[in-house]
Amino acid sequence: MTSSDESAKDAVREEIISFYAKHEKIHPREVIGGFSKLRRIAVFALLGIFYLAPWLSWDGRQAVLFDLPGRKFYIWGLVLWPQDFIFLTWLLVLLGLSLFFFTALAGRLWCGYACPQTVWTEVFVWIEAWIEGDRNKRIKLDRAAWGFEKTLKKSTKQAIWVIFALWTGVTFVGFFVPVIDLMHGLAHLDVNGWPLFWILFYGGATYANAGFMREQVCKYMCPYARFQSAMFDRDTLIITYDQARGEPRGARSRHAPRSQDTLGDCVDCTVCVQVCPTGIDIRQGLQYECIACAACIDACDTVMDKVGYPRGLIRYTTQQAMDGQKTRILRGRTLVYGLLLGLLFTVGVVGLLNRKTADLDAIRDRNALYRETATGQIENVYLLRVLNKKMLPRTFRLTVEGLEGAVIDGGTPRWLVAGGEVYTTAIRLEAPAATIHGGHTVRFILTDDVSGQRLLAEKARFIAPP
Amino acid sequence: MTEPAFHRDEPARRSLSRIGRDVAMVLWPSFLAASLESMVFFAIFDPVYLGGGTALAELISNQNAGYALGFFFFWGFTTLSSALTVYLARTENSGSV
Repeated sequence: MTSSDESAKDAVREEIISFYAKHEKIHPREVIGGFSKLRRIAVFALLGIFYLAPWLSWDGRQAVLFDLPGRKFYIWGLVLWPQDFIFLTWLLVLLGLSLFFFTALAGRLWCGYACPQTVWTEVFVWIEAWIEGDRNKRIKLDRAAWGFEKTLKKSTKQAIWVIFALWTGVTFVGFFVPVIDLMHGLAHLDVNGWPLFWILFYGGATYANAGFMREQVCKYMCPYARFQSAMFDRDTLIITYDQARGEPRGARSRHAPRSQDTLGDCVDCTVCVQVCPTGIDIRQGLQYECIACAACIDACDTVMDKVGYPRGLIRYTTQQAMDGQKTRILRGRTLVYGLLLGLLFTVGVVGLLNRKTADLDAIRDRNALYRETATGQIENVYLLRVLNKKMLPRTFRLTVEGLEGAVIDGGTPRWLVAGGEVYTTAIRLEAPAATIHGGHTVRFILTDDVSGQRLLAEKARFIAPP
Repeated sequence: MTEPAFHRDEPARRSLSRIGRDVAMVLWPSFLAASLESMVFFAIFDPVYLGGGTALAELISNQNAGYALGFFFFWGFTTLSSALTVYLARTENSGSV
């Protein structure tokens, strides 16, 4: 083979170019300050609710339980049935609209403080920092050759991560399976089938997302991160580096008089970059990777305090304010979102409070249209389903409206229905044959027999010979 | 003395390849869609009454299994849809026609 062959071959040799920068693990530097305190409070509040809720009792049962086999959701005093499905829809719309409203108002509050991805990642990073030390130590440890110390630290961290993730899985399943039964099962190593599967599924997802994926979830997987900018406008609160004040950036001697240098306020210490959990440089402007956690604000304020410059080189502000104009909190966008949100919330809560406490289905017997009795009456038969949605036994009585002289089972039937149970029965509705002809719409009225409160009316057809 | 520039030379021990990102991009939105679909579907239908006397009815009559299988059934199809979308977006300009 000649050398020209060789070079020709070189020339056509394919080069593999990756369109993506290789991912490198980001070790966010620890940060102290007001916003980080706020974030910490959010983590404790949200995860506190999550981990404690299944353990609370209410009225002799688990306070929050999504009982799928029983098809009932218990949320403290509230019991939701499949018939209350509309409230699930309402809740989803409400949550969506809230996201719109708060994004328009204050940017990515959700991402920075409340998103489960942020919250759980925070805890996983705490564990990492607890075992492996601060940022510099973690970077050093990652670079070090595998030895006793590295193996020990890494395996300890992994073990704590796995235990924490599994406990998260157990807690999650505890919302669906009574947590006492679950604990009993765990204590006897007798958890199997689907509960075990879901513990591993949710625990595994927590471990992968908070331990391994972290900011990549926000960057590559999260739809909200991509479309949130559509809800932004010039009056939306964003985290910004004050370019006019900061540039030209540069290091300087601490003792040089301020008046003699031509530099801006940014001392280019890069601490804002080191604290960033998504590894961006806020000084390059607003980027979609920014989850608005405000760690860079705290970091920069600390540095500004140290060098004796005023705080706020990086701060929460709006485009409008940066351009020296007045920020309008009340504007078309926020007014419409806010109004819709308030309206929807009110309607939903009123609906929830006035929810029917019982349900009634009346289905005509399919076997016969009608029957003429020996006493000159027309009789229709209905299958009835009476549902007592309250969790205590109640007596119901049934009456009928809309048909002259109609009688149910020769009087007014009363049934005692246990709390949360369905009572199924057949009734005979009789009306005098002499006066009733053809089809009629009747209304069955269900009344609480003790309080006399009329609960609901259910329409049905009564059919007599023409 | 300033801090050294941002550490981009940290060991790249956990990189997510392009394939990995595509997988994440397919699985996550389809998971969200399937979760929503399961919620809405099972709020209306009780798995106990599904299946219509088939072998499947036997399987999903245990409600826990019914809900779980329903969820994965939905996730399967939403994954298929997401995967096709990613595939079409990726190959949009690679055709020779």
